[in-house]
Amino acid sequence: MTTSQPALPDSILSHDTQVPPADVRPARQRRRWPLGVILALLFLAVLAIGLVVPHWLTRYDPLLSDVSQTLQPPSLQHLFGTDRIGRDVLARVLYGARYSLLIGLASVIVSLVIGLVIGIAAGLGQRYLNEPAARVFDVLSAFPAVLLSLFVVTFLGQGIVNIAIGVGIAGIPKFGRIVRSRTLQVRRANYVTHAVTFGLSRWQVFLRHLLPNVLNAIPVIATIDIGTAIIAVSGLSFLGLGPQPPTPEWGVMLAESRDVLRVAWWPSVFPGLAITLTVISISVLGKYWQRNFEGRPQ
Amino acid sequence: MNFRLTAWLTLTAMATTAFTLSACQKDAAISTAQATTAPVSGGTLTWGVGTEPTCFDPHSSSQQNSFFLIRNYVDSLVAKLADGSFAPWLAKSWSISEDGKTYDFVLRDDVSFSDGTPFNAEAVKANFDYILKNSAVTSASASLLVQYDHIEVVSPTEVKIVLKTPDSTTLESLSSVKLGFLSPKTLSDNKDLCAGGPALVGTGPFTFTSYQRGQEATFSRNPNYHWAPAFAQNKGPAYLDKVVYRFLPEASVRTGALSSGQVDLIEGVQPTDIGVFDKAEGFQYLTGPSATTSFTLNINYTTGPAADVRVRRALRDGFDLDAIVKSVYLGTVRRAWSNIGPDNADYATHLKDSWGNKVEQANQLLDQAGWTQRDSEGFRTKDGQRLSIEVGYPQPYVRDSRDVLIRAIQSALRQNIGLDLHLHITTAGDFANQKATGNWTIYPNTDNPSDVAMELWDMLGDRGFLYNAIAKSDPVITGDINKARQLKAGPERRELLGKIQQYAVDQAYIVPLFAPAYHVAAKSRVHGVYFEPQLDSPGNSYDLWATPATQ
Amino acid sequence: MHPLIKRILARLLSALLVLWLAASTAFVAIHALPGKIEDVLAGDLQYPGLREAISAQWGLDRSLAWQYGHFLERLAHGDLGSSYVMQQDVIQVLSSQIWPTVQLALSAGVLATVLALVVATLTAGRSRLSRRLASAVELILASTPVFWLGLLLLIAFSFQWRLFPVSGATGWKSLVLPAVTLALPLAGVLSQVTREALEQALEQAFVTTIRARGLGELALRLRHLLRHALLPVVTLGGWLIGSLLGGAVITEKMFGRPGVGSVTLNAVLSQDLPVVLAVVLLAALIHVVISTLLDVLYLFIDPRLNTP
Repeated sequence: MTTSQPALPDSILSHDTQVPPADVRPARQRRRWPLGVILALLFLAVLAIGLVVPHWLTRYDPLLSDVSQTLQPPSLQHLFGTDRIGRDVLARVLYGARYSLLIGLASVIVSLVIGLVIGIAAGLGQRYLNEPAARVFDVLSAFPAVLLSLFVVTFLGQGIVNIAIGVGIAGIPKFGRIVRSRTLQVRRANYVTHAVTFGLSRWQVFLRHLLPNVLNAIPVIATIDIGTAIIAVSGLSFLGLGPQPPTPEWGVMLAESRDVLRVAWWPSVFPGLAITLTVISISVLGKYWQRNFEGRPQ
Repeated sequence: MNFRLTAWLTLTAMATTAFTLSACQKDAAISTAQATTAPVSGGTLTWGVGTEPTCFDPHSSSQQNSFFLIRNYVDSLVAKLADGSFAPWLAKSWSISEDGKTYDFVLRDDVSFSDGTPFNAEAVKANFDYILKNSAVTSASASLLVQYDHIEVVSPTEVKIVLKTPDSTTLESLSSVKLGFLSPKTLSDNKDLCAGGPALVGTGPFTFTSYQRGQEATFSRNPNYHWAPAFAQNKGPAYLDKVVYRFLPEASVRTGALSSGQVDLIEGVQPTDIGVFDKAEGFQYLTGPSATTSFTLNINYTTGPAADVRVRRALRDGFDLDAIVKSVYLGTVRRAWSNIGPDNADYATHLKDSWGNKVEQANQLLDQAGWTQRDSEGFRTKDGQRLSIEVGYPQPYVRDSRDVLIRAIQSALRQNIGLDLHLHITTAGDFANQKATGNWTIYPNTDNPSDVAMELWDMLGDRGFLYNAIAKSDPVITGDINKARQLKAGPERRELLGKIQQYAVDQAYIVPLFAPAYHVAAKSRVHGVYFEPQLDSPGNSYDLWATPATQ
Repeated sequence: MHPLIKRILARLLSALLVLWLAASTAFVAIHALPGKIEDVLAGDLQYPGLREAISAQWGLDRSLAWQYGHFLERLAHGDLGSSYVMQQDVIQVLSSQIWPTVQLALSAGVLATVLALVVATLTAGRSRLSRRLASAVELILASTPVFWLGLLLLIAFSFQWRLFPVSGATGWKSLVLPAVTLALPLAGVLSQVTREALEQALEQAFVTTIRARGLGELALRLRHLLRHALLPVVTLGGWLIGSLLGGAVITEKMFGRPGVGSVTLNAVLSQDLPVVLAVVLLAALIHVVISTLLDVLYLFIDPRLNTP
């Protein structure tokens, strides 16, 4: 039933209606990168530094509490202010980048790998493989992602790895469906039939034609999916199911900031802003990539 | 023109009416305010409380924050007053034998449970039997009866409690809600009493009308009540028709609920929100006493790195407790010097200013103890092992920003002396398992008994709550504690209790942190808010009444 | 048989299949856990008769096949088992908490749809600036985590301007912020999709004809193109329901609202398997039912599919 749905929301998000179709643009013109893309790249660059060498950007220790400086508003000394027990919020946001980003990435990899395997198997196999695989995707997408992750976490227990698995499982249909339909597409394409007629072994057809064409579609989806994954993962951490305090994960920071919301806005605004800007940047880049470099079946 | 005139006249009329109405209202408000020094009967009040009791059975519950709800329907034999003395309640009078082993109580003859069963000596025996028969689940109450030998029902109004050895904590235990009384019919019905609801029948000023899990518990007036304890102002049936306790686990939610008028009282006002209610128009803010225990880290001195007294002393002195407590609680509570509350009569006052915040010495102690290497994160190590001690804090007891406090201390210890104080919020089941095998490392808590000997026995005694399953407890301290329990109340006992507290702190078996107090905020039209002396917590809703809302 | 009926039957069968697979997966998952089932389900609890009750309800002394059949039969009858942690039947637990969640999900869903339709209808095919602006806002909203948006709204509207209560579920005022929080990110996505569909429709030939006949722009959009605008909303209906149900968990925690969301979260934290299982299966059921209904609806309103 759900296989008849048009493209899922995420890929629809990638359509930008203002860019003129490619054939109208003069060839060989060096186009300037749109402002949004530049900003996105800049932000992600800063984030990357924060991921790898955060101490370049801040001298504070994210876990050190200075009880004489609790709940200080943003100032020259503490650019993002301090939290309830005197920890520097900017330091925590920077050091926290690795958790949300890496866990988000891990869950996308889980979705990707499993979706890829099932999708290709379904696309290549006979009827008895194809239909059940489609049903598997239907079942997985019948559960709201948050609830499915909660379900997984109930069984496996709380923690970083388990929420990555939970979000990963919920994201399988996204990849699986595209992979499956691409596989089917390629399998029926003329050039494949020609290749087989010319005597290429099935394995060679697989490696040289099928795999590249299927894998072509993946990076863009994966990029856009990371955004959803990051939101999902920090949401589960917000609920208390992921890393535990004092880990400076962004969702955990938002949960910790709730009690002092009445007197301090900065412990909640900045981590949330970090999540939002990260997702926006990744989306903008993903859209740009899809518009200009998306692999088409060759 | 006509239209204009009409418009103006209407406007003036409206303005005048509005003015007179408001003036009338103000007069009404003033007269009601002046008139209501006498309690008004009737109405419903709603509390917003932070902990939803996991168990409503007074004999099985161990959550401090469940007791002031349970007090609405459960009475005790005697009542503890704020000065530490005991007054009659369900028992009219009592006498203690010379050898201190027999307590003879004469009961009131006009008390009945709200299901009609009369309260008598048989009912007392039935409750004690129930506690001892089900000691697996009633461990908190059963631990108060360790010296209990048997009960003699002399007559329906006279009962003798006989002990194996003299125990001066007996009256205090009998004033506790944990040894309060449920109807024998309820006990024999053998249903699950933790579940609450109308099946839980006591003699209290309210009956347990309904319990909606995750939402609220409702109690209704018991019209026959006239056996109030001496610490209450009211003597007859409760003023309120109904009282509702809503469960709002988050401090900011409770604050919001009271300030928007959704509830009438809240307990557990977090320090950053006190300014909303303290000296604010339309609200009142009250703080209770700290006469039971201070929030303390109990260190298992028989296992792990903490078996070395140098490590324990380093932990105790390795951070500036004053600054941390002041910062987390914004000056609303006192730091602790002993695990006994500073308002308690047996508090060891000579412990004040005697320990803590000696970071340099702490580092030296750890060097002496052999923890001289450091790992990549800055923690001390010895033979490849990190200096790490876990604090296991059961989730149902976490409240009052106490986890925030421990985290601040965690950070300071890491920075100052390289010790990893690892906070782990556990489930109640996890902790029960650890305790049963003696595998706990640091247990943070406040405890309910306000009798100091009882409290020390619970936390440090060889057969108490924490060390029951541990063979190698220190005979010096456990010997003194057992002796103190047997001494009659008086100067010798008080001195011994002071000595025990000092020894415990000196050996760093305990690291007292702060003296918690209950913070209650309410609308100004609510009257009669009080704190029960034996609990430190808000009392039940027996004395509460409210001036009717004028709007 | 009429091809439409055939299609509807196919959808229904498909839906049933999905539900059956979901229930079976849950069954497998429970039995795949390490340790004895009674121990897992009982957790920390200890009262007398507990193990026997669990054993009886799940038929743990019978064969695995029997247990499976019994499990499915119970589900078919609507018996979702008992929560041992809460000592109540799961149905009781859920039904006592379901109304606030329904309120929240319904109001958020309606709000999101209306917002998306309004914005898309007004901005489709218009000036570049308005489309760019709308696009940017939609992107921001779709990228904003629900729990952060809620915090921001609380800071502004509850603490700063005292307009709405911080928490609770009494009165319509306490519904406003949670519903808006839940609705906005969804509206962002819906709006994008709807506007695209509208712009595609606007390029069609019949639009020029209608315009030539002199019909005003707004009337054109409302009367003729709404159908096209609703199409993507209908196809995304399943996704919308799923997001509402999932988002309700987070929103209820955020705003201290009682409801199925907070029950589920507590169940996860206390590893109360029967409750989590029931909620997840129910959510799947709702999702499947609504998706199927919408699929059928789609068959009726998509003008392209009306030819057999």
